[in-house]
Amino acid sequence: MSVGYVTVQWNRHKRVYDSLVGGGVALYLALFIIAGKTLYTGAHAISDEILAIRALGTCAYLMLHVVLCTGPLARLDRRFLPLLYNRRHLGVATFLVALAHATIAIGFYHGFGNVNPFISLLTSNVNLGSLSAFPFQLLGLAALLILFLMAATSHDFWLKNLGAPAWKRLHMVVYLAYALLVLHVALGILQTQRSPWLAGLVGAGVVIVAGLHVVAGLRERGHDRRGAQRTARVNGPWVDVGCVDDVPDRRGMTATVGGGERIALFRYDGCISATTNVCAHQGGPLGEGRIIDGCVTCPWHGWQYRPGDGQSPPPFTERIATHRVRVVGRRIQVDPTPLAPGTAVTPARIEEDHHG
Amino acid sequence: MAEAILLIILGYAAVGAGFGVPFLLRGIDRIDPAARGSPWTFRLLILPGVIALWPVLARRWRRAPRPEGAP
Ligand code: HEM
Ligand code: FES
Repeated sequence: MSVGYVTVQWNRHKRVYDSLVGGGVALYLALFIIAGKTLYTGAHAISDEILAIRALGTCAYLMLHVVLCTGPLARLDRRFLPLLYNRRHLGVATFLVALAHATIAIGFYHGFGNVNPFISLLTSNVNLGSLSAFPFQLLGLAALLILFLMAATSHDFWLKNLGAPAWKRLHMVVYLAYALLVLHVALGILQTQRSPWLAGLVGAGVVIVAGLHVVAGLRERGHDRRGAQRTARVNGPWVDVGCVDDVPDRRGMTATVGGGERIALFRYDGCISATTNVCAHQGGPLGEGRIIDGCVTCPWHGWQYRPGDGQSPPPFTERIATHRVRVVGRRIQVDPTPLAPGTAVTPARIEEDHHG
Repeated sequence: MAEAILLIILGYAAVGAGFGVPFLLRGIDRIDPAARGSPWTFRLLILPGVIALWPVLARRWRRAPRPEGAP
């Protein structure tokens, strides 16, 4: 949290994850090049440079799909959450692989003459009006610039100094980069006259990315609508948000109350506490987090807050809003009006059933 | 035309690099207390972003409160 920056927030999990990413990229490139060499021989042989360009390009394109799918996947199934925690590292790796692809492509196709390769890239093809001869490399260049901006601003320093809303907006531009890349790849395949099943793969990628976003969005909307209906059963300030058995021990649950506001509920030590669902760091969904070392731990980047008062444990100073909460029988009731960030609230004790 | 675009981009980046060195040595500590005492590897890591977004940081540096003890 905001107590001095470190260069890269590595911990054991992230190191394992980063080695997997590095190993995966190396393996993919090796397999791609071996396959290309064995499948295309003699008159059909592909030059080393073109093979490298294709291997790196498809690798970065695949990685971008993983990056884009993690958000909705994690919302649909918690088992994908570890991917979400590490998404920033994957994003930076994607940029580096794409940069290698572009560097070789520019060097190979534009580096021979005595014109500066960049000038050559910008001027050698100006068929902007024609689809089948469109300079698809320029679309790749635009996308690469976007990926660069995102990789360059991925450190927490930027999140803090650009402000969360601006940072978030900047990182939403990744969808524009994706659209540009779909065209880059589609037109590139069209122009190099590659087999149509490649176009099929590109289409399948678009369908998967768009489909996952739609499904996750619809599910979230359904959840919110059910929540809004709950307000009908108000008594006093208290709103019934569910049963204590819905909340697994040391975990959270998200409830939506009237007006669409989301509240996170946590169960630990035989108690229930309620806080806002919005993490002070970057708006991560706290209700999808866990209780670790007695603290609510955000699923996105691991910021922590004490469930009883919404304060980060010392030496950190972040605070989130808390909510009054009580347990009646097995039902959880919260007061939807948030208290000032950092306000202590007595956790609601769960009366254990004493059967027989 | 293409030459002009390239020159503008290079000029912008050159100013960014010229700004980046004093910013990473001193300015960053002024605009963000959390950066005080941070390792040089961290500063190097954010240098590409500083070169790209230097106007934003320059504005923040100009508006930052003067350090204690300065006139
Ligand atoms: C300045 C930026 C870029 C340039 C100049 C460039 C250039 C090229 C060229 C010349 C090809 C055709 C290669 C061939 O089959 O002969 C190509 C294909 C491709 N590029 Fe790029 N590219 C750039 C950026 C990107 C980025 C950022 C990505 C992805 C993240 C990307 C992904 C791909 C993919 C997936 C292909 C198809 C590979 C295939 O046909 O098997 N490119 N690019
Ligand atoms: S959003 Fe980053 S830790 Fe919660």
